[in-house]
Amino acid sequence: MNPARLSGRMKTVSMADRTLKKEDLGKLIDSVRAKGGRFVAPALLARQVVFRSVKSAEEVATGYILARNSFKEFLFPQTEVIAEFSMNKDSVGLKGVEVDAPETVVFGARPCEAASLKGLRTLFTWDFVDEFYTKREDKTVVITVGCTSGDEACFCTTVDLSPESTEGADVYLRETEDNGYTVKGLTEKGKKFLDTHDAVFTSGAAKERPLFKPETVPAVDLKRVSERLKDRAHYDDPVWAKLTMKCIGCGACTFVCPTCRCFDITDEGTAFEGERRKNWDSCQYDAFTLHASGHNPREHQPQRWRNRFMCKFNFYPEKFSSKGCVGCGRCIRVCPVRLDITEVMQEFSK
Amino acid sequence: MDNIYLPYLAKIEEIRDEAPDVRSFKLVFEDPALRDSFEFKTGQFGLYSAFGLGESTFCIASSPTRKGYIQCTFRRTGRVTGGLAQLSVGDTMGFRGPYGNWFPVDDWKGKDIVFIAGGICLPTVRSVIWNVLDRRQHFGNITIVYGARTVADLVYKDELKGWDERSDITPSRPWTPARDPGMEGQGRVRADRIGRGRAFCEEHGGRDLHISKFVLNSLLKLGFDEGSVYT
Amino acid sequence: MENILRQKAKELLSSGEVKVVIGYGWNRAKTRTTPVFITDAADTDQLVWNPLCVNNLSVYLTRKFKDIQALGKPAIVAKGCDIRNIAVLISEAQIKREDVYIIGMACQGVVYKQELWQGELKPNIMPTKCHNCDVRDPHLSDFVAGEKADFTPPEEPVGMVFDKIRDLDSKSPSERWAFWVKEFSRCIKCYACRQVCSLCYCERCITEKNMPQWIETSAHPRGNLSWNLIRAMHLTGRCTFCGECERACPVNIPLNLVNQKMIMVVKDAFDFKSGYDEKAHPPMIVFSPDDKENFIK
Repeated sequence: MNPARLSGRMKTVSMADRTLKKEDLGKLIDSVRAKGGRFVAPALLARQVVFRSVKSAEEVATGYILARNSFKEFLFPQTEVIAEFSMNKDSVGLKGVEVDAPETVVFGARPCEAASLKGLRTLFTWDFVDEFYTKREDKTVVITVGCTSGDEACFCTTVDLSPESTEGADVYLRETEDNGYTVKGLTEKGKKFLDTHDAVFTSGAAKERPLFKPETVPAVDLKRVSERLKDRAHYDDPVWAKLTMKCIGCGACTFVCPTCRCFDITDEGTAFEGERRKNWDSCQYDAFTLHASGHNPREHQPQRWRNRFMCKFNFYPEKFSSKGCVGCGRCIRVCPVRLDITEVMQEFSK
Repeated sequence: MDNIYLPYLAKIEEIRDEAPDVRSFKLVFEDPALRDSFEFKTGQFGLYSAFGLGESTFCIASSPTRKGYIQCTFRRTGRVTGGLAQLSVGDTMGFRGPYGNWFPVDDWKGKDIVFIAGGICLPTVRSVIWNVLDRRQHFGNITIVYGARTVADLVYKDELKGWDERSDITPSRPWTPARDPGMEGQGRVRADRIGRGRAFCEEHGGRDLHISKFVLNSLLKLGFDEGSVYT
Repeated sequence: MENILRQKAKELLSSGEVKVVIGYGWNRAKTRTTPVFITDAADTDQLVWNPLCVNNLSVYLTRKFKDIQALGKPAIVAKGCDIRNIAVLISEAQIKREDVYIIGMACQGVVYKQELWQGELKPNIMPTKCHNCDVRDPHLSDFVAGEKADFTPPEEPVGMVFDKIRDLDSKSPSERWAFWVKEFSRCIKCYACRQVCSLCYCERCITEKNMPQWIETSAHPRGNLSWNLIRAMHLTGRCTFCGECERACPVNIPLNLVNQKMIMVVKDAFDFKSGYDEKAHPPMIVFSPDDKENFIK
């Protein structure tokens, strides 16, 4: 741990309108589930904290920095059936599948990852509205909890976010000294949610724990990064190979990333019937851009890495005016070769 | 629910073999209402389904001026196109689209047009060519420059012949590299008729047409400005 | 030892004997090691050696890394366990012995995952492979950095992986099946296990072949099970238990259990352990007239 990066502590600001006692979290889960909703929260699975659908407060993890995965998989599942078909001698039967969009509460997300929703929404409604995504998001209430701890991979402040950011969140919580939360409704959806489950909450003041705010990564200038990426002269710059030659080309970073959203459509089944699926895909795979002719415009791994970086810091901001990177640091944590995106940001700040 | 991934079902009404492993389908939507209402712009593409194998992207090769059906031309390369190639007349496949960019054909009214395509790229350009030919009176001189690696690889052989015979088009005779025996010199076009189209052929003489970068460079050298080149 | 390593790397690059040294360096915060490719003798001070050097760098010798191959002859910083993978690569004709300079690192063990490091290498943060290591004095090297290790591996292998295998072996086939279905169901098909593995060097992996589609690419339980079982079979008799796949797995699938179990099966059936002799071919890829054929009845 680098003490310099971990020293930032923020002053305590109270803006809550309700409180949630530690012992009442279970009541909230029960209240949501009683109405047929699903309650997604960070919970232990195979020795690590991940977002899961939980049934009780005992399952909900505490003391975590952030979940290993992003909660995007509850809005945009890794694999889902979009159509079913059957074939016989003279005809094809084709049936679209209705999206399975239960009322969902995502509890305990971090302010950084919630900021990814704007970009996802824009992408999935760009020209065509993908109701597999929008219907799920419409039915999801995102409850973020301001961070009281972090690690050296955290860099939200470097991309203009902080533990106090509320972008994408419907309800914002702060941990209190007695292990409960102060509660603030942000959006109409969030306020309605709080009213619906009003009986679970209490009122009154509570002492909030100080927030953890990571220090910004030194020598990163987002404006400069964006400027440099606009000029495509960097495409053949050997610096890409220098920085990313160690990348092994797995998709771990893209799959845990809250803003990555590429997918592939594939058929599965027998000669007589089957289903069409929408599956996560990754720009880090060599087959991602492989043409039928055998030509691959991104033949080398550094080119694929360049694409990922361009997507985060050029395509997303330029096309959708939204954040392509929220600084959650998941890609750094899962990378088997510890390729650190902030080091590339530094290079392109020069 | 509006499922944007759900394809339309279409029946294969006609199959034409164009070249080794290259095949064209004429497709008619199963839903009669859709046959009338379906609209697209020239240059757009679709995703074609072989159910059980997946879907694959290629252009709509027919012109929107021809109503009631669409045509597509594909080369058998992988899993989906391999599956499509096994279908027969009367079989059902899937189509979703149209998607993507199109050629602003109406902006070209009154202008001379040179069409340049190589090999399996003609299907996209064919949609534009027929769009223009079906409204011939609105456009100036038309030159078609087309070639392939071998004579066998030329697609729409009948239509090439038809274009060659029309007096209102300046075609380059099918253009194949000199390495294809019997085709030497076939890349030359009738010099008196095409002006800059002819110059393009000479500038480009004997080289493959399939890399748009090289073609663009040749065109720029000839004084075409970049804004008048559409890809 | 770090100094010996840097000195050797400097010599090799200055003399032109190698064009690149594949080794470990620090990340920016100097909290984690990360692979580095040193091509300039002036940069050899970037090389580090410590118990955080967990990566098996031999993956960078494979044809998956054409950009690295293009740099020229490599020297590689390798622990004994990493050298076992290099030996398999040589025996499978992926690389010629003379085409790589091996800087063997005498090793006291490394951490299981870098995140566990708190300044001291304690047995409880070391992977099972280190507790049973018989290559702490690296074999097959052109140069060895460090002193001969004072360590004899136990007669009977110890560690969590072996404990768990014994536990699983004592269960019924249906219980074992249920265990693996559950573990594999978490798979997200990121293929980090394959990409980090130096023995997964195929240019077109079977999971990418789709005519026919051997493995369903969806990350549903069926597709996950077939992917993980097929990968295990493709590594049988070849895997050296380096543990990279388990370390790289973002969802903590206990791949070491699968691979070690297969190693034990191969040891029993063929009396073979991979990665010691670069001239010996793994049993599953050769036909020998002496093969036991007692399964043919």
